[in-house]
Amino acid sequence: MRKRIRALIVAVQISLILAGASCKTAPAPSEVQQALKQEQDLWRAGASVYAAEEYERYREDLKAARRFYEREELKIGFFRDYRRVKEEFSKILAEGERIRSLVESRKVSQQNEIRKFLEELYSRFELLNSLSLELSQRSFARNQLSQADVILRETERLLEKEEYDEARARVKTVEYLLNQAEDILRQQLGRYMDEEEIARWKKLAERAIEKSRSGNQLVILVSKLERKLTVYKGGIPIRTYDVGLGFNGLNDKLHAGDNATPEGEYKIIKKIAASQFGRALLINYPNEEDIKRFNEARKNGRLTPGSQIGGLIEIHGGGKDGLTRGCVALDDGEMEELFRMIPVGTPVTIVGTTDSNNKIVAILKKERK
Amino acid sequence: MKNLMKLSVLGLLVVFLFSSCAKQPTQQIDEARAAIDAVVQAGGNIYAKEELKKLNDDLQAALDEVNAQSKKLFKKYGQAKEMLAKVKADAESVQALIPARKEEAKNAALAAMDEAKAAYEEARALLEKAPKGKGTKADIEAMKADLAGLESALNEVQAAIDAEDYFGAKDKALSIKEKAAAISEQVKAAIEKVKGRK
Repeated sequence: MRKRIRALIVAVQISLILAGASCKTAPAPSEVQQALKQEQDLWRAGASVYAAEEYERYREDLKAARRFYEREELKIGFFRDYRRVKEEFSKILAEGERIRSLVESRKVSQQNEIRKFLEELYSRFELLNSLSLELSQRSFARNQLSQADVILRETERLLEKEEYDEARARVKTVEYLLNQAEDILRQQLGRYMDEEEIARWKKLAERAIEKSRSGNQLVILVSKLERKLTVYKGGIPIRTYDVGLGFNGLNDKLHAGDNATPEGEYKIIKKIAASQFGRALLINYPNEEDIKRFNEARKNGRLTPGSQIGGLIEIHGGGKDGLTRGCVALDDGEMEELFRMIPVGTPVTIVGTTDSNNKIVAILKKERK
Repeated sequence: MKNLMKLSVLGLLVVFLFSSCAKQPTQQIDEARAAIDAVVQAGGNIYAKEELKKLNDDLQAALDEVNAQSKKLFKKYGQAKEMLAKVKADAESVQALIPARKEEAKNAALAAMDEAKAAYEEARALLEKAPKGKGTKADIEAMKADLAGLESALNEVQAAIDAEDYFGAKDKALSIKEKAAAISEQVKAAIEKVKGRK
């Protein structure tokens, strides 16, 4: 009897060992680890921001799948069946891939939206920047433009780091700064967009050309915005030179020290062969109209009682790319030619512009409506 | 019969002990949450984003375990308690990491600010040296105004550092450095222009 029992025990032991060996537990499906890694990757890619709802649902599904997997894990190896686990996690992985594409497409769309806005701002910045540089109205607008330039660079960095909310905020700041710069330029240059003012300048220019035609004489016409000095004879332009103006050259001169270039009808009253800036043609600023305007400004308090009207406005050499205190400057070689050509008494007309579609109109009218 | 009654009472007692007396680990939950809050307070959202995400995930897993156990007749919160204790310990470790990372970011921002200031000073010094002839006057005036704009931007870098926005400060400082370098190049070009004329 004992022998039989012993034999039975040995037989049971052997069959258990054999069963254990043949029914090895299948390894957990690789999809489980893949899904866990995928969830981390999705979070890193910004799924919680760019596909919040989908990502939340995905996480819930993942959680449920994990619970199912854990329940399966608790079973004795022989009874474990990973087929459904694999199925569930495969679904999760597929959904994860869908969310990944969604996140990427939403990111690209956000980036494109900001990039488009940024491009508009770059173009606006360039226009205002060139206007500011060309017009010498620099003290205020350049400060804003310089800050805008720095923030545009910052925005590029944020876009690289995919920090779109921050980038969007920076873009708004740039827009604000450009608006400020534009307002400053508009205040300074509004006259160049004013149709009545342009019509007045046109009349002055036409009168100068007519004077040249009728008397078949030399007449100088300076157009400040275009920075051109044209010599007319018999109503025909015979020479044109590029010129430089005062620090505040686009404004109409009102008083000494305003660095503005006067506008109106003048004449050459003296030829100076060796001025501080080489050859020079002195004009009769202030004329009667200038004196009248100056007196009115003093009377109505726009100028202090101690203000002086100024004088010694010349067309001189020294270089067209310099800044004067109100004079009109040419490159020395061209000034030499002009000096020889122009006699004392030659009429000089200085206007803002005669072009009603001038660059200020072109730039500032395109800006904020 | 008596024995049967005794056994029933004993059985009920055992059931009661296992089901009702196993209380939810509310204290541990509160402690784990407080530890994560401390990480957030210390700047975890900025300086330990990944770790903070893992902490929140681990806390959620522990809470899920608590929830699962609470629905069972025989509640066993042992594993949940272990998970919560780990979350708390991990949160404390993460919190300990933050000051060094913050310091590192601060140092990087300060270094970038120094570089920006140096670039700004270099541009300013070049402008001071630049020949203020008629040919360069306009350019110099414009560049001076540009530098004034950079000065305002530099003040913003300091403000960002004061507000502990070190990454923002660094980005701004690097942008200022670039712009200042561009101005320096313009000044050099203006100087060359004058030299070329002589």
